[in-house]
Amino acid sequence: MNVTAIHPCVASLLAGSGAVPKSPAAWLDARRAAALERANALAVPTTRDEEWRFTDLTPMTRLQFQPVTSAAAVSAEDIAVHAVAEAAARLVFVDGIHVPALSQTGSLPAGITVEPLADALGKHGALVEPHLAQLAGNDNDLFAALNTAFLQHGVFIHAAKNAGSGQPVHLLFVSTRKGAAAYPRCLVVAEPASEIAFIEDYVALGDGECLTNAVTEIAVAAGASVRHIKLQRESSQAFHIGSCAVTLAKDARYLSHAVTFGARLSRNNLAVIQQGEGAHAQIDGIALIGGRQLADTHTLMDHTRPNGSCEQSHKTIVGGAGHAVFNGKVFVREGAQLTNSSQQSRNLLLSDKAHVDTKPQLEIFADDVKCAHGATVGQLDAEHLFYLKSRGLPEAQARNLLTYAFGAEIIGRIPVPSLVARLEQYVMARTEGGT
Amino acid sequence: MSTVLDTLVSQPYRHGFVTDIESETAPKGLSEDIIRMISAKKNEPEWLLEFRLQAYRHWLTMSEPKWPNVTYPDIDFQAISYYAAPKPKPKKSMDEVDPELLRTFEKLGVPMNERAALAGVAVDVIFDSVSVATTYKEKLAEVGIIFCSISEAVHNHPDLVRKYMGSVVPAGDNYYAALNSAVFTDGSFCFIPKGVKCPMELSTYFRINTQDSGQFERTLIVAEEGAQVSYLEGCTAPKFDTNQLHAAVVELVALDDADIKYSTVQNWYAGDENGKGGIYNFVTKRGLCKGRNSKISWTQVETGSAITWKYPSCVLLGDNAIGEFYSVALTNHKQQADTGTKMIHLGKNTRSTIISKGISAGHSNNSYRGLVKIGPRAEGARNFSQCDSMLIGTKCGANTFPYIQVRNPTARVEHEATTSKIGEDQLFYFQSRGIGNEEAVSMIINGFCKDVFQQLPMEFAVEATKLLGLKLEGSVG
Repeated sequence: MNVTAIHPCVASLLAGSGAVPKSPAAWLDARRAAALERANALAVPTTRDEEWRFTDLTPMTRLQFQPVTSAAAVSAEDIAVHAVAEAAARLVFVDGIHVPALSQTGSLPAGITVEPLADALGKHGALVEPHLAQLAGNDNDLFAALNTAFLQHGVFIHAAKNAGSGQPVHLLFVSTRKGAAAYPRCLVVAEPASEIAFIEDYVALGDGECLTNAVTEIAVAAGASVRHIKLQRESSQAFHIGSCAVTLAKDARYLSHAVTFGARLSRNNLAVIQQGEGAHAQIDGIALIGGRQLADTHTLMDHTRPNGSCEQSHKTIVGGAGHAVFNGKVFVREGAQLTNSSQQSRNLLLSDKAHVDTKPQLEIFADDVKCAHGATVGQLDAEHLFYLKSRGLPEAQARNLLTYAFGAEIIGRIPVPSLVARLEQYVMARTEGGT
Repeated sequence: MSTVLDTLVSQPYRHGFVTDIESETAPKGLSEDIIRMISAKKNEPEWLLEFRLQAYRHWLTMSEPKWPNVTYPDIDFQAISYYAAPKPKPKKSMDEVDPELLRTFEKLGVPMNERAALAGVAVDVIFDSVSVATTYKEKLAEVGIIFCSISEAVHNHPDLVRKYMGSVVPAGDNYYAALNSAVFTDGSFCFIPKGVKCPMELSTYFRINTQDSGQFERTLIVAEEGAQVSYLEGCTAPKFDTNQLHAAVVELVALDDADIKYSTVQNWYAGDENGKGGIYNFVTKRGLCKGRNSKISWTQVETGSAITWKYPSCVLLGDNAIGEFYSVALTNHKQQADTGTKMIHLGKNTRSTIISKGISAGHSNNSYRGLVKIGPRAEGARNFSQCDSMLIGTKCGANTFPYIQVRNPTARVEHEATTSKIGEDQLFYFQSRGIGNEEAVSMIINGFCKDVFQQLPMEFAVEATKLLGLKLEGSVG
């Protein structure tokens, strides 16, 4: 594999791609090579690109990131604090590399498979091939192409027909090293009428500048349901770029909860394509940032078939000199009659230097649909503050409580109690610290 | 229901005819020589020629914007004639105006003399590019208001024109504004001095007549401290098969406590049902609320043009300034509209309201694109936006692209958008009350647009209702 990228930053990112070992499957090697070729042809997006208009990647392009070849020594104690009590299985990745010693998949219910991607390629190749690197488009997306070019470590989650598990699978991605680039990949395949929940959890040990470029692909078959909880708590120096592509078959359900607390610059792409009638998606998002953080969320809900529905609620709480970006596209294609889609973008600004760019976007080509979107930007309501103060709460405490309540609405909908408790604690601590 | 709608939406263009009067037309193409020629024909001062040439040189370095959600074949800017004037004839009174020209206005339902007298409207009529008749000028002059064509203003009030022209829309603002700055032929100039409330509604009728000649008007309205004015602009154009480019620039300046209301009804030829012909309407309209407590209000009813690409904007610079935008955009057949507004909040306690109603029918595509920007110093700024879309039929599209950029935490910004259709149940309800489908559709649409029509001056509100009737409801209206 030769590196021929014209763009210096892409060339630098791709420098280590030659070290990716051959995979057990020839088709995967072909897909990697195609993605490498694609990445070579692309440039790092700039603010002149509409999709990156408010998110400047220049700070990232000034740094060097390379994938690591061996995982740093991380002990069970180091990550104990991140354990999720309700989880049925846990896979741990350190700087993008799977660490079997920290993982356990023993107590999974029948019909649910959770395997490191490398193992799954051998054991379940036929299940993986139709989806892996097929759902997330590489065409114009440099970061998805990069991830595919480096595709090696990841996880494969499979729910067999009618299999169901209320217990989530916990995927813990730990970044430890300065200059490390991690390219994790998750593939989730839910067969008809199955049910699965998983937590994609990004945390940091240490405070180095690192890059996480993650891609998640989710195929939800007819009548199946997937719950996807994404937590991003990387270090304040980290760059996090995550893309998730979801396809929904007839009557499928996809429930997403994205929580963004960390990273110097984070970008969350979510594309949900409704391919079957009557599919439903619920997309929740919350970003709580401060300092000089930037949190960018781009979502696409594509209704292509009749009777689909989507409920989206994205909230941001921005303090310090933080910058929150939201772009939510809703497409209702010709023929997607009786679609019911709603989208809310709510933004809370806590300080003078904080700012928000939001763009809820509707494109409708069918006439018998119900679509609405709304966006608000503002500070805490003076009347709400006054009410709490009249009840004897000091100003600061009243502010914290209202800020907390603003975020808690989204967090409280995550059906994993231990996680909710931990996240709420975090929000409380952060609002008390003035973000 | 579809057959009813089909007949409703397929009303022919009532204003489609060509007036046969000789006109003086510049050779096709654009170059510095052509610009010098236009400038010389109009006997312009050196500084204006320089303004044009600078704009032209800047235009050469720019590229056509591709971001609007519209598609059209490439425009050959060298195939357009940039100057067309009715054959010059000295005229002292209305009697000397070309009778053919006057007949045209009559056909349009604008009996200028009577209408002007009856409605108390001063009409500065633009026929193609040169002003041919101006009424009520003296009456306005009594209170110190200057209302004339830009060409006249250049000669009679050069200091005012020089001071304000290009101050809101700089010559190099965007591709079409630069083109306009280079080749604009005429337009209206309006100056309301300090403390004067304009005693009547000012209006201008724009009409494109010469085949293949783009029209590049330039309008400049300045309201000094405490002044007040309401300006109406109505547009119709005859039926042609070749696309015509229209790239106007409108600049409004409001100083302290001034109030400008700008209303537009646009019904240019939209092309036939197959999308052949029609006007390309690429317009830059911007108002600057320069002073404290100033107010600029845009109201538009857009029903014509093959392609509409326009964003009447308000720059709210003065503290407590108010910007408003009320819009109805109706597209039918193969029409495309990408329209909306920009509200740039820079001063403290600035407020803005956006009400946009989009109606799409046939194979048309209707987009709302808006920007609400709150600058870091805009303490206490407030915006409310509402964008509603209505779709009639399954082949059309309605899109919303609102950009919200907030840099101040004390600002409050709200945006809402909904989409709906004329439901079978609504029509059934009307029917059960003895109201036929046609009338029901008309009533529903008029109800949908009520918030905007209420903002129009009375004469225009009537005309707007009629226009929607023409476009959608056949005999109704």
